[in-house]
Amino acid sequence: MKLKTLLATTSLVLTCLVTPVTHAAGTLTVALHQDPGNWDPIATFLVSWGAVGSQVFDGLIMRTPDMKLVPGLATKWEFLDKNTKLRFTLRQNVKFHNGEPFDAEAVKFTFDRLLGEEGKKGPQQSNYNAIEKVVIVNATTVDFILKSPDPVLLTKLSGYGAMIVPPRYIKEKGSQFFGMNPVGTGPFKFSDYKPKISLSFDRNGAYWGGAPKLDQLVYRFISEPATQAAELQSGRLDVANQVPLAMIETLRKDPKLTVASMDGPVALALRYNTQRGIMKDREVRKALTMAVDRDTIIKVILLGHAKPIASFQGLLSFGNDPALKPLPFNPALAKTMLQKAGVKPGTQIQLDFRGPDSNFREVAQAVAGYLQAVGVTVSLKPYETNVLLNDIIPNGKTGEMWQNQWGGWTFDYDNTAYAMYYTKQRWNPFDDDAKLNALLHTQRNTWDQAVRKSTLNEISRYVADQALEMPLYSLNTTYGLNKRAKNLALPADGRFRFVDATVD
Amino acid sequence: MSGFLIKRLLQAIFVVLVVTLFVSYAVRLSGDPALMLSQGAGSVTEEDLQNIRTGLGLDRPFLVQYGDFLGGAVQGDFGLSFMGGTPVAQLMGDALPATLALAFVSLLLSIVVSVPLGIKAAVNKGKGVDQFIRIISLVGLSFPNFWLAIMLVLLLSITFPLLPPSGWDGAISLVLPALTMAIILSATNVRLVRTAMLETLSAQYIMVARSKGLRERVVLYKHALRNCAIPLITYIGLQFGNLIGGLVVVEKVFNWPGLGTLAFDAIANRDYPVLQGTVTVLAVIIVAVNLLVDIAYGLVDPRIRNK
Repeated sequence: MKLKTLLATTSLVLTCLVTPVTHAAGTLTVALHQDPGNWDPIATFLVSWGAVGSQVFDGLIMRTPDMKLVPGLATKWEFLDKNTKLRFTLRQNVKFHNGEPFDAEAVKFTFDRLLGEEGKKGPQQSNYNAIEKVVIVNATTVDFILKSPDPVLLTKLSGYGAMIVPPRYIKEKGSQFFGMNPVGTGPFKFSDYKPKISLSFDRNGAYWGGAPKLDQLVYRFISEPATQAAELQSGRLDVANQVPLAMIETLRKDPKLTVASMDGPVALALRYNTQRGIMKDREVRKALTMAVDRDTIIKVILLGHAKPIASFQGLLSFGNDPALKPLPFNPALAKTMLQKAGVKPGTQIQLDFRGPDSNFREVAQAVAGYLQAVGVTVSLKPYETNVLLNDIIPNGKTGEMWQNQWGGWTFDYDNTAYAMYYTKQRWNPFDDDAKLNALLHTQRNTWDQAVRKSTLNEISRYVADQALEMPLYSLNTTYGLNKRAKNLALPADGRFRFVDATVD
Repeated sequence: MSGFLIKRLLQAIFVVLVVTLFVSYAVRLSGDPALMLSQGAGSVTEEDLQNIRTGLGLDRPFLVQYGDFLGGAVQGDFGLSFMGGTPVAQLMGDALPATLALAFVSLLLSIVVSVPLGIKAAVNKGKGVDQFIRIISLVGLSFPNFWLAIMLVLLLSITFPLLPPSGWDGAISLVLPALTMAIILSATNVRLVRTAMLETLSAQYIMVARSKGLRERVVLYKHALRNCAIPLITYIGLQFGNLIGGLVVVEKVFNWPGLGTLAFDAIANRDYPVLQGTVTVLAVIIVAVNLLVDIAYGLVDPRIRNK
C-alpha cells in the first residue's frame, strides 16, 4: 500500500515537473564544444569563434561552403600598381545592427585596429601583416596598401580577424563591452550571452543579402561530445558540432536524426625524426611508410570518416595534388627494404602521440602492429597534448616518429607546408633543406596562383620522395543533425552561416 | 576554546595557501595558453605567441604572478579569464549557486534514501532484507560516477524521454545529476547508518526502552536514531570533500553550469585564472566544512579542544 502511494506521488510530481520537450518554431539550436568567451573578431582564433562569427559579421569577401570567394561587403576588388595595392569597391546602403552605416571609415577602422596595438594582443595580427595600411579613396572605395605579397590574403579577408566592425559603437562602448555584446552587419543580431551556457541571436530582417528565414538562433556550449549526442537524441538540439565517432551509427539509425560527414581541413601524419637512429636512412623511412595499411585503419578504427592522403593536407586544400598517390601498402617489399638497409629484426623505435586522443591511440596501436609485422618494435609514448606541442616537438625531443595533426580554415597548403618544412620553424625541429626552403619561399612570394599551385605540388612530391613523414589520413568534418533543420549549407571548416536555414 | 579556534583557523588558511600555490604552479607546467588561444590560426609565429603571453601577463616570474593572484583573491578579485576576459569572480558567482544547489539536493536525497534503508538493514541484521540492501549498496559503490551518469541519461532521457539530458532548464534539470550523485552517496551512507545503528541498538538504554514496552517505531526513530545522529552528521560533513570531487565529473557529463564544469573546461583551455579561482573556492568550501566539523567535535567533546 505504502509503495503504491509512493509510486503514485512520484509519478504525479514527475508529471508536474516534466515540461514537454519542444522546439520553439523558427528557432535553430546548435551545440558548440567551447565558449571562446569573447566575440570580438580580433580576440581569438578559436574554431568555436568561427562557428559564430560569420552569423554576426561579414567580411569584404566571403567564402562559400564549396570554397569559392564571392563578394561580401565589397562588391568587387582589383589589384593595382603591380600588386602593391588592392582596391575594394564597397557595398552601399548597408547598416550595422545598431544602425551605424557601413562605409570606408568602418573598413579603415577595422584594419587600423587589427594591425595596431589592440590587434597585437590577440593571435590574429600576423595573418594580415602583408597589409601596410588601409587608405580611404572615397566613401565607397578603399585601397589596401600591401608591403609584401601574400597569395592567401583574399581568403584570409573572408573570415576571423578581417570581419568588419562598427567604429562608433566600439569607440563609445569600448572593446570589452563590444566583445560581450557584438554588433556587425551579418544575418543575425546578437540578443543574449550567458558565458559558458548559451548565446542567442535574432534574425536581422534588414540583412543586405536577404533576411534569414529563422526567427532565432541559439548556441549552447556543451563540451562533452557524448552529452551533445544525448541532447541530439532527446530532440533538444538541431546541430551538434562534435559527435563521438562511435555514436555516428547509432545517431544514423534514429529516424529523426542524421549525420553529415564531409572532407575536412584536418590532416594527420606521423612525422619522422630524421636525425635519430635508423630514421636517418630515407629507404628505411619509405619502408616504414609502406608497411602500414592506412585504408584498413580508416575503415576499422575511423569507421570510414577519413580519407587517405599522400601529402600532409586535406583533399580540399589548395595545393593538394590528386595525381600524387600514397606509397602502396606492401609489407613484403618493406621487409626486404629494411633488410637491405641493415635494420635488424626487433629494432626498437618510439612513437610519440597525444595521450588524451583516444581515437589516435588506437591508430598508434595499429601502426605499431603493422611495423611489428615487418620486424620493427614500436614503443608507444603518450604525452599530455600541450607538453607534446610546446616542449617535445619544438625542442626536438621526440622519438623516431611523432603524431602531427594540422588544419587551418584557409584550406591552403602554404601555411601547413611552411610551418612544417621551412628551416627552424616551430614544427620542423629536425630538417634543414635548402631546396625545400627555396620552393616554400617561391610559392609564398608570388600572387600568381598557377605558379603557386605547381610549386606547392612540387613541394608535396619532394616531401614524399624524401619520406619526411608517413602521411596517414585527413579527418572528415562530422555534424550530428536533427532532420527537422533544412538548408543548413554546412561548411567543412565549421564556420556556419544559416541564412537559408529553416526548421520544420 | 578560542585558542583551539585560532589554531584550527590558521591551519585552514595554511591548507588553502598550499593548495592554491600547488595548483597555480602545476597548471603552468602543463601547457601554454597562448597556443590554445591560437588554435586554428593559419600562421602563428613565435612572435605572436610571445605577444599573447605578454598580454596575459605570463612573461612575469611565477612568484610575481602568484602574488598578484593572492593579492587580488583576498579582495575578491580573481582576475580575468584568458578565454575572453570575463572577470573570474563573475563566472564563479554565476556557477557557485548551481553547484551548491546540486550538492545540497544530492545530499538531501541521499539522506532520505539511506537512513530508512540503513535502519531497515540494521534491524533485520543477517536476514534476507539486510543481505539484499547490502548487496545493492555494494553495487552502487562500484559504479564509476560518469558511467552511472551516462546510463541514467540513456534510460531517462533517451529510451524514456522524461528528463532533459543536460544543461539547465529549470528545477527539472536537477533530477538526473542529483540522482546520480545521490546513488553514489547513498551506497556509502546506507552502510554507515547500518553500522552506527547496530552499535546503538546493542546499547542498554535501547533494551530499557523496549522493556518499557515502547513501540518499535518510537524506539528506532526517537531513541536510537537520535543517538547515532552525531557520528552520522560528522561523517556526512567529512564526506563533503568527496561530494565536491564527484560533482566536478558529474557536472561535466550533465553540462551543469557549476564550478565543476568551469574547472574542467579551464583545465582543457589552460585558463589559469579560472582554474585558480575555482580551486581556491572549492578548497575554501571543503576546508570550511571540515573546520565546522572540527569545531562541532570540540564543542561536543572537551577532550579534543583541551588537547
